[in-house]
Amino acid sequence: MDRFKLAVIFFFSLLLTSCDKQLDQQPISDLTESSFYSNTNDFLQAVNGVYSKLTSYPSQVLWLGEMRSDNINAIHDGNRDWQGVNDFLPSITTTGFVLNAWRDNFNGIFNANSTLDALKTKGDVITDVALRSRLEGETRFLRAFYYFQLIRLFGPVPLISEPLSAEEVTTVPRSNPEAVYPLIIEDLTFAGENLPTSYDASNLGRVTSNAAKALLGLVYLTRSGASYGILGPGLDSNEYDKALALFNDVIASDQFSLLETYADIFNYENENNKEVIFDVQFMSSTNGASFPSHLAPVAFWTDQKLSNAYGNGYGSSSFQVSNGLRQAYQHGGADSQDAREEFSIRLSYKSPFIQKYIDIDKRGLNGRDWPINFIVLRYTDVLLMKAECILHGTGGTAQEALELVNQVRIRAGVPALTALDEDILLEERRREFVGEGLRWNDLIRFGKAVETINNWKVTDDLSNIQTIDANALIYPLPAEELSVKEGLYAQNPGY
Amino acid sequence: MCIKQLFLGFILQGILIFYSSVLFAQHRPVQGTVVSVHGEPLPSISIKVKSGREATSTDAEGKFTIPVAANATLLFSGVGYTTLEVAVQERSILRVILTEDMAALNEVVVVGYGEQKKASVLGAISSFDAKTVQERPIARVEEALIGQMPGVQVRQQTGMPGSGLSILVRGAGSVNAGNEPLYVIDGFPLDVSSQNAAGGFGVNPLNSISPNDIESVQVLKDAAAGAIYGSRAANGVVLITTKRGKNGQAKITLNANTGFSNVAKKLDVLSPEEWIEMATEVANTNWVRSGTGRTANQTNDERRAILGLGEGEYNVTYMPDDRWLQTGYPGLRLVDWQEEIYRTGLYQNYDLSASGGTDHLNYFVSGNYLNQKGNLLNSSFRNFGARANLEARAKNKWRFGLNLNPSYSETNNPGAEGKDNVLMNAATLTPVVEADAGLETNAGPYSNYGWATARLASPVAVLNNTIGLTKRTRILSSIYAEYEILPNLKAKTTVNYDDINQTTKAYVSDYVAVGGAADRISNPGKNASGSYNGFRRQNFVNENTLNYIHTFNNVHNLNVLAGISYNWVHNDNFGLSTAGGYANNIIETINNAIPNNTGVTVNGNTTENTNTLFSYFGRVQYDYEGKYLLSASIRRDASSKFGSQSQWGAFPSASVGWRISEEDFLKSSSVISDLKLRFSYGKSGNNNIGNYNAIPVFTQSAYNFGGNTPIAASGQVLAGLANAALKWETANTYDAGLDASLWGGRLSLVVDVYQKRNKDLLLNLPVLGASGFSSSLQNIGEVQNKGLEIGINSVNIVKGAFTWSTSANIAFNSNKVLSLNQDGSPIYIASAYSGSNPPFILQPGLLMFSYYITKTDGILTQADIDNPNVAKVRNQTAGDPKYVDANGDGVINADDRQVGGQPTPKYTWSITNTISYKNFDLSVQIYGQQGGAIMSFLGRALDFSGSTTANVLGIWRDRWTADSPNYEAPRGKFGANYTVPAVTSDWIYSSDFWRIQNITLGYKLNALVKKGVFSSARIYASLQNFFGHDKYTGGVNPEAQNTNVSGNGSYPLAADYGAMPLSKTASLGINITF
Repeated sequence: MDRFKLAVIFFFSLLLTSCDKQLDQQPISDLTESSFYSNTNDFLQAVNGVYSKLTSYPSQVLWLGEMRSDNINAIHDGNRDWQGVNDFLPSITTTGFVLNAWRDNFNGIFNANSTLDALKTKGDVITDVALRSRLEGETRFLRAFYYFQLIRLFGPVPLISEPLSAEEVTTVPRSNPEAVYPLIIEDLTFAGENLPTSYDASNLGRVTSNAAKALLGLVYLTRSGASYGILGPGLDSNEYDKALALFNDVIASDQFSLLETYADIFNYENENNKEVIFDVQFMSSTNGASFPSHLAPVAFWTDQKLSNAYGNGYGSSSFQVSNGLRQAYQHGGADSQDAREEFSIRLSYKSPFIQKYIDIDKRGLNGRDWPINFIVLRYTDVLLMKAECILHGTGGTAQEALELVNQVRIRAGVPALTALDEDILLEERRREFVGEGLRWNDLIRFGKAVETINNWKVTDDLSNIQTIDANALIYPLPAEELSVKEGLYAQNPGY
Repeated sequence: MCIKQLFLGFILQGILIFYSSVLFAQHRPVQGTVVSVHGEPLPSISIKVKSGREATSTDAEGKFTIPVAANATLLFSGVGYTTLEVAVQERSILRVILTEDMAALNEVVVVGYGEQKKASVLGAISSFDAKTVQERPIARVEEALIGQMPGVQVRQQTGMPGSGLSILVRGAGSVNAGNEPLYVIDGFPLDVSSQNAAGGFGVNPLNSISPNDIESVQVLKDAAAGAIYGSRAANGVVLITTKRGKNGQAKITLNANTGFSNVAKKLDVLSPEEWIEMATEVANTNWVRSGTGRTANQTNDERRAILGLGEGEYNVTYMPDDRWLQTGYPGLRLVDWQEEIYRTGLYQNYDLSASGGTDHLNYFVSGNYLNQKGNLLNSSFRNFGARANLEARAKNKWRFGLNLNPSYSETNNPGAEGKDNVLMNAATLTPVVEADAGLETNAGPYSNYGWATARLASPVAVLNNTIGLTKRTRILSSIYAEYEILPNLKAKTTVNYDDINQTTKAYVSDYVAVGGAADRISNPGKNASGSYNGFRRQNFVNENTLNYIHTFNNVHNLNVLAGISYNWVHNDNFGLSTAGGYANNIIETINNAIPNNTGVTVNGNTTENTNTLFSYFGRVQYDYEGKYLLSASIRRDASSKFGSQSQWGAFPSASVGWRISEEDFLKSSSVISDLKLRFSYGKSGNNNIGNYNAIPVFTQSAYNFGGNTPIAASGQVLAGLANAALKWETANTYDAGLDASLWGGRLSLVVDVYQKRNKDLLLNLPVLGASGFSSSLQNIGEVQNKGLEIGINSVNIVKGAFTWSTSANIAFNSNKVLSLNQDGSPIYIASAYSGSNPPFILQPGLLMFSYYITKTDGILTQADIDNPNVAKVRNQTAGDPKYVDANGDGVINADDRQVGGQPTPKYTWSITNTISYKNFDLSVQIYGQQGGAIMSFLGRALDFSGSTTANVLGIWRDRWTADSPNYEAPRGKFGANYTVPAVTSDWIYSSDFWRIQNITLGYKLNALVKKGVFSSARIYASLQNFFGHDKYTGGVNPEAQNTNVSGNGSYPLAADYGAMPLSKTASLGINITF
């Protein structure tokens, strides 16, 4: 029997050693939570990760903002995802744009919350205290940015300010915008106080204190906007004074100025120029932009002898600008060509479309690889928002507001105005910011969204577009979000 | 078995000659033939004179001669046959039929970690004797299994040479973790590799395994048989045994065959003439619709005048080509693109082997060469392989063996299948081109035909200017040692190692780069692209077993097995690709790459991953007099893939059987030779859940800073939500079976009924977006497969030299989702190619991935158009299809989708008839499936109401037209002006088919054998897949899978978006043994 025992021991001892160790396999090519957040560089990369979700922002404001506004009347050639957005159909609860906007912003918030949590628990590995508070400031700005975008799109959203498990999230109901704003304001205030005013060349594009102030100003302006009786971003809160103070701070910082020509602002070689307060950064190959192709028809690219991969994937649909937008540029008089129209709209094309960011010679490797930043907040916007505050009776004089607007007009090569009211300002913003995704939010903030769309439908005889009411001003919750946990969220009215 | 007998036959024949010369004078000779009940001549049957010295044995043709005295009785005996006594009487020529010895049961089948007498098997095991493999042109092991075993569905998803086939055992039980079985070659469990999202294989475990080396294949279908393989057995286990040497003289065998192949089916699209007719009709329709005052009879010149076009200019949407109306189509060439891209392929397969052995050493060595020229231009497969199986034995205590199988293969695949690829383009491209460009249209110096899309280059040019060369080296090796510790107790250790190295070089010349004409002259190579990718996969397995076999008191048979196993799998992947094209179009390797406009020359990366599996297992088999049978096994698996909270899983099984035929009341039955009832239950798992899915990892998320001089800022974000409880999927299987053999084996029957429930499915369950993610990987949900399998073997006629036998099988399977998430709500799976109406649904009570579509119901009449109560899609007019308003709300939208067409067949079947007459043998195998449906995504590209710039499916020939308003037509009119509510039932086709998979006619060259040139020789002619029929007019192969059509990353779904048709092959071959 000895032989037997020996043999058994021999065979089975071949393996037993280090079995547990063998079973504990950690990813070789991926970082894990246990190995991360161990030095300053890890935290820098985590914060970069929070920034990275910004890259979905241009698509959100072009498809869900510009497309929904009266700037574009796109004609679809088939079952196209954006069709319901353009046409104000209530059936857009399954539309990818709506779903992605919800998910992308919450993913950005998750990344921000994870990073803030790690800063709190492991942040002491960052020995440079100033850097540490800068990283916190950047992250909080971004969290506020994502939340602000959610409120503007969807109205009430779940308020989550720390990393939660999937299970825990099912207990968090939606909070009205009024309850979400305090977190946004708190985060932006912190960012405004803790961020630097500028960065070295290699860090150009990070959030500055001025970006935080300008965004906070826009937040106050938005809160002051019309409420329409819905749970939207506008609260009729009349906080123009707070907004004006912030805009004045930004202007007084002397970091920004108007560029000589309109085209210079969007020049591929002139990124992060004096106009830019905050932009989403893109570069070719590793972080290319797709938005320049979004609002251009596929046929345009093939006419240029470029592969249809430069298109937006939506077949032979046309994306023509509306008659109203064309007419808006003629208000200055037929003899004065508005530089902004010439630059922003492809007039020579059979169905003119927005070409603002297209510079074919600068194209990247394919249609989703344009090396151009997307400007979120620019100095002109701050100037015009300041004028907006003044029109609402806060500080300044009517003349001052008029001058703010006129310097923008003169740059565009159109005659100065002699009088200014809200309607004129709104129209000026339309001309100035066409294709930048602001129009839809502007219409809502100015209280003009419902009547503008309904009038447009009549004047342009648009059979495809539905007559709307205030419910159309915020998007529906994605249908998938309602089915995960029945009864947790209620669908927005009107959908 | 057969080989050994042949050798014995030769040896004994020699003895016989000696004896007969000595003894002839005293006795008279008796001649005869010994055959089986199937009429096959039996070699190596020993013949002895009862109570005498004389003995002989049959030769290769079953013939014998023996001198006998008067009134002698002869005893015929052979391994596996019942001994028979025959009184010679006055006869001088005998024909003796031996029946198979059912009691001794002869046949031994391979089971997990051992062998078992077939009579004692309690699990549902299908066996395939690979003897016939070398008799037909078969390139892969899986091909040989097609239709051979009930419940083992071998699906030919592609006709590209060298591609692996998908095997489905008893239906699909997993939504996400793959449905491919575990392959075990000579005891070595290979790494499970599932179909990828597009339906193909990155690494198929059976790649490079020569079918000629296979002795037999066993498929363990139920959990009782498979549970010994624990967490990998839920999809069945395929045990492959390769050939070993048998004691005796060396034997050298040559198998060679060669033949020609062509595509078995082409896609039915409009012919060039029909296309011209359609394009004219559509152009006119577009024209009339485009403005008031525009009529179809206006000439092109009149249209130009209205459109303001210059002389000779065309608007291809509104105008036909003037040359379409001229006889002979001057300046144009009509092209059947499919005719141009397919060719006749040559098939060659040579296999040479030597085997033999002594009491101390057995050997089998072989070398094989396979060369397959594909039916698609520029496609081919070549494989060089060798095998050495050696076993040495010492002092009856030690056994030591080696199996070594090195191979090298080259696959040329220009990447033709799937969306926007060559095969789809060949179907959709206009069949009319400028004559001077011809087959080079839109490639090289030629521009596209005005009516053809500028997007597509000639498929012929693309195929000829694309390289997709995969080289694979594989070394599959095992060594083992066995030691007999005590009589009946053996210890065995095996060390197995599988090393696969594969590289793929891809190159697309700028000759076919669309839109690159100008660059091609100034910067040749700039628009070319290339890549070099590959991987190394290592699989190491060490297994150690103890096996105790003993019979107590002659009646209690016990077989106990215990073992321990360790498995390590490591993958290294690398990829390089050009970022900015090439410096010229001469050198194709990446050192010739040039930077793109961001300064990047080459994109490259490497990744690695590892998983380990550690297991204990044991099994007890007991029977009482071979009559009452019991078996139980258990395996405990721990895997690095599982979460820390559920690292170990246990997989038990138990089975009982009763061999009724061994009971006294049946033992003497002349009808029932064998009858066994068996019942089993077992639990097995599917651990194919990804290597690190239980661990939350970070992923790179790109951003940059720096404005005009951007600097990439590497960002890290968490890739998903952690689930430390992640574990295997579990399959619980009940199986009841009956094995019967009647009339001495002339009719045998195997029947199994089963129920397999897979639970703890690995599902990407949707989670609230507010968590930061859209889904989380969880073990939840249950799918059931129930089925009935029947296999019959029958010797129909044995008459003289003529025999006819039939084997048939049929397998019914029904699949049902039992539960998914907590609240039972359905999961809709969008397709990336069907707009916003998800066409797939997962819902309790339905089949997995049921089609969820808008149904069509005939054609709208003018009365329907005028009737506001008939639901229509906007802009529909008379002659357009009528969609079913399923919810009756008067509008056609996403809410009108219904479940339609089941994605899996209701049953699969196969019949093989074998006829032999004298030296001839004929075998015909037919197989098929019924009751399923396939959703063709080619519909999106080819099944629409006509175009001036693309071709459409042939089904549109039978459309509704104003002149011939057929309201029963399968399709509506050309030039429709509304948006199809995709997906509609028009994209769903029946997947029923039958194919005559194989017809082989053989002839034994017995004349040469008699002359002693060979010990056996046979020539044959074979037709593979030559005849068949299916109802899939929206594609070429109802089993095709080539594109991931899912729009939902959590649920990849392979479907057909342009498939390579299967091949039909006619070949000649020879089998010779020296």
